[in-house]
Amino acid sequence: MKEKLEQIKTNGLEKIENVKTIAELEEVRKELTGKKSELSEVLKSMKSLSPEEKKTIGMLATEIKKSFENKLQLKEEEIISSMSVLEEPIDLTLPGKKVSGGALHPITQMKYDLNDAFLSLGFEVYSEDDISSEKYAFDNLNFAKNHPARQSMDTYWIEGTEEKEGAERLCLRPHLTGGSVRYLQKHGAPARFVYPGEVYRNETTDARHERAFFQYEALIVDKDISFSSGMVMIQTILEKVFGRKIKTRMREGFFPFTEPGYEIDMECLVCGGKGCKVCNHNGWIEVMPGGVIHPNVLKSAGLDPEIWTGFYINIGLDRLVMMRYGVDDVRLFHSADLRFLKQFK
Amino acid sequence: MKVSLNLIRKYVELPKDLTDEQIAYDMTLRTVEVEDVENTALKFHDIVVGKILEIKAHPNADKLRICIVDVGESEPIQIVCGGSNLYEGEYVVVSKPGAEVVWHGEGEPVKVGKTKMRGEISCGMICASSEVYLSDFFPAEGETEIIDLKGFDCKPGDNIADLFGMNDTVLEIDNKSLSNRPDLWGHYGIARELSAIYDVPLKKLPKYELDKNLPEYNVEIKDTNKCNRYVAVEIDGVYEKKSPIWMQSLLSKVGQRPINAVVDITNYVMMAVGEPLHAFDKTHVSGEKIIVRNAKENEELLLLDNNSIKLTTDDLVICDENDAMALAGIRGGKKDSILPDTKGIVLEVANFSADEIRKTGKRFAEKTDASIRYEKGIDTQRVDDGLNLALELIKEIFPDSKIIKYADVYPNKTENNKIKIEEKFLDTRLGKKIEKEKIEQILTALGYEISYNNGEYEVIVPTWRSTGDVTIKDDVMGDIARILSFDSFKAKPITITFEHFVKQNDVLLERRIKEYLAERCGFYEIYTYPWIEEKYIQSAGIDMSKSLKLATPPAPDLAYLRSSLIPGMLEAISKNLRYYDEFKLFDYEEVYEKGDYRPSSNDEILPIQKNYLTGCIVGKNAKEIFYEAKGVIENMSRYCHMEDIKLEKIEKANWADINAYLNITKNNEIIGTLGLLSVKVMTDSKIKRTNVALFEINADKFIPYASRTNEYERLPELPLVEKDLSILVDEEVAWKEIEESIKSKVKEVEFVDEYRGNQIPEGKKSITLKVKILNEGTTMTSEQINEKMNNILKILDKKCGAKLREE
Repeated sequence: MKEKLEQIKTNGLEKIENVKTIAELEEVRKELTGKKSELSEVLKSMKSLSPEEKKTIGMLATEIKKSFENKLQLKEEEIISSMSVLEEPIDLTLPGKKVSGGALHPITQMKYDLNDAFLSLGFEVYSEDDISSEKYAFDNLNFAKNHPARQSMDTYWIEGTEEKEGAERLCLRPHLTGGSVRYLQKHGAPARFVYPGEVYRNETTDARHERAFFQYEALIVDKDISFSSGMVMIQTILEKVFGRKIKTRMREGFFPFTEPGYEIDMECLVCGGKGCKVCNHNGWIEVMPGGVIHPNVLKSAGLDPEIWTGFYINIGLDRLVMMRYGVDDVRLFHSADLRFLKQFK
Repeated sequence: MKVSLNLIRKYVELPKDLTDEQIAYDMTLRTVEVEDVENTALKFHDIVVGKILEIKAHPNADKLRICIVDVGESEPIQIVCGGSNLYEGEYVVVSKPGAEVVWHGEGEPVKVGKTKMRGEISCGMICASSEVYLSDFFPAEGETEIIDLKGFDCKPGDNIADLFGMNDTVLEIDNKSLSNRPDLWGHYGIARELSAIYDVPLKKLPKYELDKNLPEYNVEIKDTNKCNRYVAVEIDGVYEKKSPIWMQSLLSKVGQRPINAVVDITNYVMMAVGEPLHAFDKTHVSGEKIIVRNAKENEELLLLDNNSIKLTTDDLVICDENDAMALAGIRGGKKDSILPDTKGIVLEVANFSADEIRKTGKRFAEKTDASIRYEKGIDTQRVDDGLNLALELIKEIFPDSKIIKYADVYPNKTENNKIKIEEKFLDTRLGKKIEKEKIEQILTALGYEISYNNGEYEVIVPTWRSTGDVTIKDDVMGDIARILSFDSFKAKPITITFEHFVKQNDVLLERRIKEYLAERCGFYEIYTYPWIEEKYIQSAGIDMSKSLKLATPPAPDLAYLRSSLIPGMLEAISKNLRYYDEFKLFDYEEVYEKGDYRPSSNDEILPIQKNYLTGCIVGKNAKEIFYEAKGVIENMSRYCHMEDIKLEKIEKANWADINAYLNITKNNEIIGTLGLLSVKVMTDSKIKRTNVALFEINADKFIPYASRTNEYERLPELPLVEKDLSILVDEEVAWKEIEESIKSKVKEVEFVDEYRGNQIPEGKKSITLKVKILNEGTTMTSEQINEKMNNILKILDKKCGAKLREE
């Protein structure tokens, strides 16, 4: 009988060892430890044995049962930890499910990025309407009476007003700068604000020229500040856009509404300043004009230029997005073409 | 404008160790943008003087000859040449192998090699002028004519660049950056800037001593508003001949074609000091009198080519007793030409008002080298510079010439501007203290006279900067800053005062709406032009009576400015349908209509300008996209944190479907429309095989909440009981009625599904709704739940005639 029990134990443990699935395991559990198991049969046939033997065999049987249970548990853990929730194989190279969603226009994305940067410097965001007058677009900004930009070859005048003058001659704004006087008239000084927007010029269009394009202008007006503080604004824009500090230089430039005015060039990112086709072999790319507000502009805004001063910078958003991503045709921004728009997230 | 550094060096001694590139860089940073730096000698490498020793016939070609040419090397070389004017002993221009020439004067330069021509070796080329960049010096007569260097002081092997003064560097300056600097339109002005930049002395211009007892030439200025000064000098012994090579060379390098010595002198003077001059053949001036007057009615100016231009009474002309000879300051006519029979000239050195030149130039759509300079505003004193230099040059080039008469009529003189500048102003605005000596050095070099007294500078602005350029102290500060270079000032931090945070709720709302549409609802943002193609306005049924138009539109059918974003959206839809079947777009921009809007000052009346928001969902299933668009509008206020907007059917927009539209309202005012695009508009705007749900809202009516606005409700202690009910109702029964009827009896009621089909009787529809009931106190038993549901069904039956659908 003892031998038989040993036999049952060896066979049983081997069976458990060979089990592969949970279902098989349950099958084997029933077979080895259930009421109809061989072990139970053995115990049932113990009646004929002496109490001494009963005790020994009984203990042995209990021990075997325990060893089955232990082994079963270990086996179960082993199987579970090697199981997958999947019944079928999985191709991990299949694409994940698309995230649905649209996107802001790349110009808006750039505008918001810059707004965030300037907001952190305490700037307000202002916007002027698209249609303005000669008074705000030119007169207030110290443009000479005969400045060529006032002609219809350059500016889109509104029909019926094109022969009038000043406040009565209306146009699609040719630049944002006129908005600076509107803001200052309303809010006074000190002031610091940005005013992004779209501007319109009568031009022949091609891959680099548009009739409607986007600008981003920033202005500070305060007492006793020096023009070199304007560099902080320039660095802010470029660092926000390109994600790192960009080398710049300021050089002489002329604009009616500034004195002095300057052009800001950034190091050509294509060649790193060594000179290449993109930068016309001089290592620098013109990115934005800027300058100290001309006293006549401050006067138009009702501010005393003896007390107040300030500076502008103005950057072409189209140009900036084009440089950032290598976009080669400025007209794409107004194309409403989803093949283009879907590339910007 | 092109600038020769050789000529600049005549006026200023530049530091020795400077490279040309450095000069260009320093000028770009401080004065004007230098776009290009060209070493003019480079293109002449391996192009030398050759002497033809012997000419032999070519055995295989009638038109070619074999020339044995001395090019200054140990052995003469053999060149096969087809030139028509070859002779033994001729000095010619030879391109040796390796030189780059322009073949027959056309196309890109090509490299000369050692070749065989019809079996005979040829070690280079004997060149025509157009092949070696010398057309300016030798206008070729025929295609096969080669350059004959007869009369030149040269020997075989001499480099051509040396012979023609081409060892030079030419800077190409962006004319736009010169537009406000009339003083820089000549080499002397540029030299003055360089003298300030490098702190080196500027040489004086020559002074010509005129005989004080000369008889007076008869000059009359009729309109002294337009002509500020007129100097006329009658000179005999001046005739048509070539100018010296050094002068031709300079003119050629700066882009002026040499013509004859007289014209070349006037052009040279203009390039050197920026003062335009004019020379008339003295015999062409009838009555020996020059009159500066406005043109008469119907007067014409006869040109050299025998065409004539019609003048207006606003045009200032230079006349003799009878006719107009020249359009003042712009161009000459036939009468002023220097011809082979010219024996003497009347030289004009004058100053005209900038406005006058600009206006007349605009009328004739003509810009000349003279008018470009005059219209910038030249000081009247520049006449002296021009006159002195011109007379010097005439004396040099025509040693036998003689000045006969002279006149200087000078009604208006350019006055020096005087400006006071406090030292403190400079310190603050420049952001750092610049030493007084440095300031004086810079300003003196630029021509200012400067005095300092008690913390204040007083400067006398030179006349050449007093014609509008420098008028206020900021201009002077700008001069100091730029010569020091803006780059030499370190960025100064800006101080900030904390008064309040930037509080701009409407700016934030616009962004929330755009981000809601793009990021939550899956729309792509587009921008459209403010001018809209008329056919799209018409197909959208937009009323154009209030629309504005452009005076000079980009194209005839693009004159109207948008009063709605719908037409632009239609265009965007129809374009994108070529590539996509389903998509969502939105446009958030201004629209305009005639009206009275005064944002800034009372005298400025602008049209009404509003921000509109338009969106579209394009897809096949009309109902589905309609409800999707409706969901976008319904949820907008909640997600964007703004005051509620509502949807009600009040009045159809022209573009909307006859059945499927809703107005968007706020406080009972219609602020927009949501709807399916009507069949008619789709047909008119060629939108085919699809459907469009559109909305347009006046976004200025949105009112943002001042902060994120949510409402908190305590969480229920027990779970809600949910039950789906499918009911049958008449077609006419709207969901709204069903919802309203039981709203007060349940915690929530939700629409699940609508169904029409086989099992549903005609005229009926099946609606599935989900009701949620609150457990009160304890969890309800199923009997209690059934009782509640039966109650709800009873109400639905009573109010909407709804019957529970048998499953």
